[in-house]
Amino acid sequence: MKNNLLLFLSLLFFIACENNRQENNSKYLRHVGDIKHDPKLDDENFVACRESMATQYFAFGEHLPYEGEKYEIEKTFFEKYKTPENSTENGLIRIRFLVNCKGEAGRFRLLAMDDNYQGKVFDKKITDQLMNLTKSLKGWRVMASKTDPRDYYVYLIFKIRNGELMEIMP
Amino acid sequence: MNNFSFRVLFKKIKIKNAICFLWVYFFSNFIFSQNCNAYLYYGDTLQYEACVIAEKRAGKYQFSRAYQEALDEAIKKCDYFSHAYRHKSVAYLKSGDFLTWKILMDKAVELDPEEHLAYRGWCRYQFFRDYQGAIDDIEKLDALINYDIGFSQNGDYHLHIARGLWYKALGKESEAIAIIEKQLAEESHSPGLYDYLHLGVLYLEKNEIDKAIEAFNLQAENYPYAENQFYLGLAHKAKGNFPEYLAYLKNAKAMYVKRERVFDVYSQPMDKIYLQEIEAELKNARSLIDH
Repeated sequence: MKNNLLLFLSLLFFIACENNRQENNSKYLRHVGDIKHDPKLDDENFVACRESMATQYFAFGEHLPYEGEKYEIEKTFFEKYKTPENSTENGLIRIRFLVNCKGEAGRFRLLAMDDNYQGKVFDKKITDQLMNLTKSLKGWRVMASKTDPRDYYVYLIFKIRNGELMEIMP
Repeated sequence: MNNFSFRVLFKKIKIKNAICFLWVYFFSNFIFSQNCNAYLYYGDTLQYEACVIAEKRAGKYQFSRAYQEALDEAIKKCDYFSHAYRHKSVAYLKSGDFLTWKILMDKAVELDPEEHLAYRGWCRYQFFRDYQGAIDDIEKLDALINYDIGFSQNGDYHLHIARGLWYKALGKESEAIAIIEKQLAEESHSPGLYDYLHLGVLYLEKNEIDKAIEAFNLQAENYPYAENQFYLGLAHKAKGNFPEYLAYLKNAKAMYVKRERVFDVYSQPMDKIYLQEIEAELKNARSLIDH
């Protein structure tokens, strides 16, 4: 019995080391789209609950898990976003973030492209507004898989035409 | 787990279930191998080998490191194995990373346009609302092939119906109606989940109310949804039939609550409505009737 236990623990240790070795040698994080905590960017009060189990927003079989659904998200943005004057900015802006098991959002990251899917830096008058409005959303639902609430990743994509907010995805 | 617990476990598994599982496992592997064998049939051993390597991703989550690495290994073996680029792209698509997704899908399309144009076109719409890009891909594919262009990746639309919707989104409603009507008139076409709903909304927006009601009734015969009831209500409002307007909105609300509604887990489908919109319209209908 004692030998079996030793064997079992050795096996666990080996698997853990092997996983760690693979992780260190890989160019990939655990999952595509994972966001590592960055103390320079992230609110120190935001804490992921069980990051190693974080999943995607659609994994719960619902569209955006937000109180009042996407309707309420769109209402916030279309009511509050102000189109900068004489803007000629076009393209898509994605803001991706993590919602923890308490329904709090953090680790916001921004990605943008022009109409030809090339990376682009937008006027800060646009991106700052979108980032602040995204951070202001407080209706993210606590989502559970089986019994435990899970952390999950969400993104919003904003379609911009001449600085105007046209559509919000997904 | 020691021998004792294994014995307990085996006792719990019914023999019949175990046999079913083995058969399913055997055939799933067989089918997968057959797909790779197609490359051998065409004498392309390099793609065959890449395909077999890519099989390592079976059972892995699309977003996972192991899934991506299996496909990288396949590409290393054969850099023209187009399916590896496409499968790699999916996690980027679903995480909203349009830059990486496009690089990977462009490569897949470059290597095999006939195989991947429909998928790239559909995804441009479903995830990024790139209506013109989606139209360009589907029309390019249509010019390349002499068989039916097929369906969207989620199976909800024939791609010509979807193409019609993209024209609508670009403000070309008449073209949209012509494309959708032409497809619906095809003898081989079976109505998709939302075909007549979208056609009805197009007519409604052009103020062709009787045609809109006819389309919504056809939609209700095939696939009734809360949205269909909602727009039927709006059509009756336009005709001044306020009791019908109210009745259809009540139906819409009941169906919405029961989740009998237009839905896509990844994105918001066109012509989808939300509960708040139904309730606002209900308030309006009640006030019209009261006055």
